[in-house]
Amino acid sequence: MTENQVASSFSFKIFERIKPDEYFRRFIEENVRPDGRALHTFRPTSIRQGAITTANGSAMVRIGGTTVVCGIKAEVAEPRVDRPKDGFLVPNVELSPICSANFRPGPPSEQAQVNAEIINQVLINCDIVDLSELCIDEGKAVWSLYADIVCINYDGNILDASFLALLCALKDLSLPTAEVLPSSIVQANSSMMIKPLKLRRLPISSTFCIFANPKVTLSDPTDSEENLSKETVSIILDTDGKILYVHKSGGAMCDAEMMKSCFSRANERAAELNELIERTSSQ
Amino acid sequence: MSRLELLTVEGLRIDGRRPNELRKITAKTSVLAQADGSAYIEQGNTKCLAAVYGPQEVRHRMQILHDRAIINVEFNVAPFSTSERKKRSKNDKRSLEIASAIKQTFEPVVQTSQFPRSQIDIYLQVLQHDGGTLQACINAATMALIDAGIPMIDYVCASTAGCIEKQPVLDLNYLEESSDSPELTVAILPRTGKVNLMSMESRLHVDMLESVAALATQGCEQIHTILDSVVRQNTQLLKDSMLQ
Repeated sequence: MTENQVASSFSFKIFERIKPDEYFRRFIEENVRPDGRALHTFRPTSIRQGAITTANGSAMVRIGGTTVVCGIKAEVAEPRVDRPKDGFLVPNVELSPICSANFRPGPPSEQAQVNAEIINQVLINCDIVDLSELCIDEGKAVWSLYADIVCINYDGNILDASFLALLCALKDLSLPTAEVLPSSIVQANSSMMIKPLKLRRLPISSTFCIFANPKVTLSDPTDSEENLSKETVSIILDTDGKILYVHKSGGAMCDAEMMKSCFSRANERAAELNELIERTSSQ
Repeated sequence: MSRLELLTVEGLRIDGRRPNELRKITAKTSVLAQADGSAYIEQGNTKCLAAVYGPQEVRHRMQILHDRAIINVEFNVAPFSTSERKKRSKNDKRSLEIASAIKQTFEPVVQTSQFPRSQIDIYLQVLQHDGGTLQACINAATMALIDAGIPMIDYVCASTAGCIEKQPVLDLNYLEESSDSPELTVAILPRTGKVNLMSMESRLHVDMLESVAALATQGCEQIHTILDSVVRQNTQLLKDSMLQ
């Protein structure tokens, strides 16, 4: 009897290995996912701000098994001639081999660069922060913020996690007061720290996976679900329900009805995360 | 004098420690779900994460060794970990040197001959740097290898010691390390007391070497006690959960 139980528990693992799509399909037919979630639930999310003391602002975000750390370092830089008051905010995503067996050592992967670019575009186009708040002295010196988002554990949905980590790190950011001396040296007074940046809106990203057979959409896909699916949709909304960015890649199966349901789920998610962010920063 | 006073008259150090005192060490294993073995270690403000993947198939066929496993170490420093943001490329020479030192430290300790034609990957990520990265990385890697269940002949425990105003001090932090005081990193196998790695990059009078090395070895033994208790505790938990 016990032998049989052992045999059956082994066989489902083997089944998952050799026929991942079939294994997955059987779960979906029962309206449940392999990790026990319903089709449109997001994984439990937690935020910790200020975990890295060497950074000017930092946050660690967990979405289920995905863990990312975002650290922001500030440096003094010379502003661009055409925008003498504007500072810089440079996001960068690192997916090193520590976080998953599927990543190889070497130069940044396409996935990491694509994610960094999406974040950068949203920051530029959607007017999230006022870069002139990073001005030290017009035309002479501004703060340049390097936001490095390092993935520590990868289990799918890196875009949502990176966005959330970046937002919380920006909320955590504090800079020393600085002035430019007549000898054109920038002097920073680290006993007087200020919180320079106000976020004008909170861009909250929600990612969905679309499956053709059976026809379903899944919220917050894990690594294995991402690998099985050919289409993902990322929707970035702000907390007022404005759409900031939509990205759908691959496949051709998505109809209008499906997109609509994704938008309503993204809206719910934005409200939920907004509350979580508020709670974390008030602590 | 504008120079920082690293030792007070009472013999206390800049962070209030005694000369022969370690910083607080927190170690955890199995912190990453994706890796076969992982560990997180905090030594004072130095925070380091290690992940071990393998033994697994060798990635490049030409590297295959037919009598033993190869060990591959990647060392990465998060750009926000230091006080000055430095964008280090993956192939930065300094990182490669540290990775190679760690690789050579573990090669004789891991029983690689049990896994011929395979590869063991050790990935190290420094999240916050406050002196003693090499020792923190070695300690984290030991814990991650144990967590992955890879057979080793012993722990590898590493510690640093230096010399400030002719006084040997244990476990230097970043301020002490960067103020031109010599720093000696020692890694030992605690059971036999054999020295596995010894590295020093600045000037130290040869008469002082013995006392500094002795202090570092003492530190290694203390670290061994801490790491061993964490491993035993985890194993006990595992055993209890299996018996239930």
